[in-house]
Amino acid sequence: MPMIEVQHLTKRYRDRVAVEDLTFQVEEGEILGFLGPNGAGKSTTMKILTGFLPPSEGTARVGGFDVFEQPLEVKRRIGYLPETPPLYPEMTVRGYLQFVGSLKGLPGRGLKAEVERVAGLTGVTHVMDRVIQNLSKGYKQRVGIAQALLGSPPVLILDEPTEGLDPTQRAEVRALIKSLAGKHTVILSTHILPEVTVTCEKVLIINQGKIVAYDEIRKLAHLHGQAENVSLEEIFIKLTAA
Amino acid sequence: MRTALAIARKELSIYFTTPWAYAVFTAMVALSSFFFVGLLQQFKQVQDMARLMGWDHMPPDYNVYRNLTDGVVVQLWGTILIITLFVAPFLSMRLFAEEKRNKTFELLMTAPVRPIEIVLGKYLGGLGIISATLGLTIVFPVLLSSFGRAESGTALEWSTVLLGYAGLLVWGATCMAVGMFISSLTESQMLAALLTFVVLLPWMLLSGVAQSTEEPLRSVLAYLSFDSQLQNMLKGVMDVQSMVFFASVILFSLLLTHRTVEAQRWA
Repeated sequence: MPMIEVQHLTKRYRDRVAVEDLTFQVEEGEILGFLGPNGAGKSTTMKILTGFLPPSEGTARVGGFDVFEQPLEVKRRIGYLPETPPLYPEMTVRGYLQFVGSLKGLPGRGLKAEVERVAGLTGVTHVMDRVIQNLSKGYKQRVGIAQALLGSPPVLILDEPTEGLDPTQRAEVRALIKSLAGKHTVILSTHILPEVTVTCEKVLIINQGKIVAYDEIRKLAHLHGQAENVSLEEIFIKLTAA
Repeated sequence: MRTALAIARKELSIYFTTPWAYAVFTAMVALSSFFFVGLLQQFKQVQDMARLMGWDHMPPDYNVYRNLTDGVVVQLWGTILIITLFVAPFLSMRLFAEEKRNKTFELLMTAPVRPIEIVLGKYLGGLGIISATLGLTIVFPVLLSSFGRAESGTALEWSTVLLGYAGLLVWGATCMAVGMFISSLTESQMLAALLTFVVLLPWMLLSGVAQSTEEPLRSVLAYLSFDSQLQNMLKGVMDVQSMVFFASVILFSLLLTHRTVEAQRWA
């Protein structure tokens, strides 16, 4: 059974269609790269998958549970990093992570150790007692990722996780995400195309709310260019130009 | 329920790590001290006058000034009631509006937490901060009872004082519930505070409007008015009807907040 299963998903805001008839699935342990120009509907799709927004039509299932019918079961299985990391500027990193841990219902005893674990993974251990509003953008982003990893949920939905990071940090986060493959099912949206080629096996490209490509990167390259070395960037530009 | 407590704890910690709580505390203490001193002076004047003329020759209106409880504390509670009306919107405005503006509302809504737990957690946090604000004013009766004298018995009649204080707390809880609901409707904290105030103040003053209307509208308005519901409690008369009234207003506000939070899922 696929971990994430989306069927004919449509989202309308009044007469504007944000996402139209999306169908795709992600197998357990797979990393799916989610690409598209700004405003293509990536964030909307992610918001529906996490149960923040209801779909207008169609269904989305995570771990076999419908996001609309059984939202709590779905939310228990998802770690989510929204576009804007959801941080409380007045809190310290430690206080914030502990709060999110208790929101996720992590048992009190293991909570401290779990907070330390995700802080270690995302490299925020040495800023744990600083107030979030004083952190740099890169650290804020990393705290956001740490928050999603808390409780190691089987599904991770990361909306532009490398946004605002410098090249070194970006490489670190990329390595981190890659190391999650197999244990976690990941949907990752990004603008930075080389990132996808490094971390993901499969890509889903959407444009104006519709799927324009959904395949393994290797096959896409094969499909859209005679040369083996055609870059994802060229494919992306070609597909989203219309 | 554990998550509701975690949310309440977070709310309180944010109130106390930002200057908000302290600014509101200062406003509350400064304003109520000002009125407290005024009430003491007035009390002393009437007492001095009565000593010259004798209570029998004083206008009956002045009878409340025969003891500190009715002459100072009950009137002070009446004043603090009004101050609460002004400061509570500033405490309740951020409850939901700030989460929406900060985009942290998304965190709460995508965590495995039921909307009811979010609402209860937020409300508990709000109750904590308003109780702390009102808690500061208990210093005035304590001062009176340690420095005041009465001709017979203790300086203050504590049962009356505390019942009035309980009335104040219920009033604070009502303001926070209404304020929380309004805060859940908007992203703007300023708008939330202003609207809360615009709802609470006329509601408070309904009894005035009632005076100029005919029955049966008159009793309905008088019943709905916060002011007339609170009067008895502040004077130290336990009134089940008022308790039921305030409990209903609070429950109704919580229910509306819950619907608003849940409506997010249907948007």
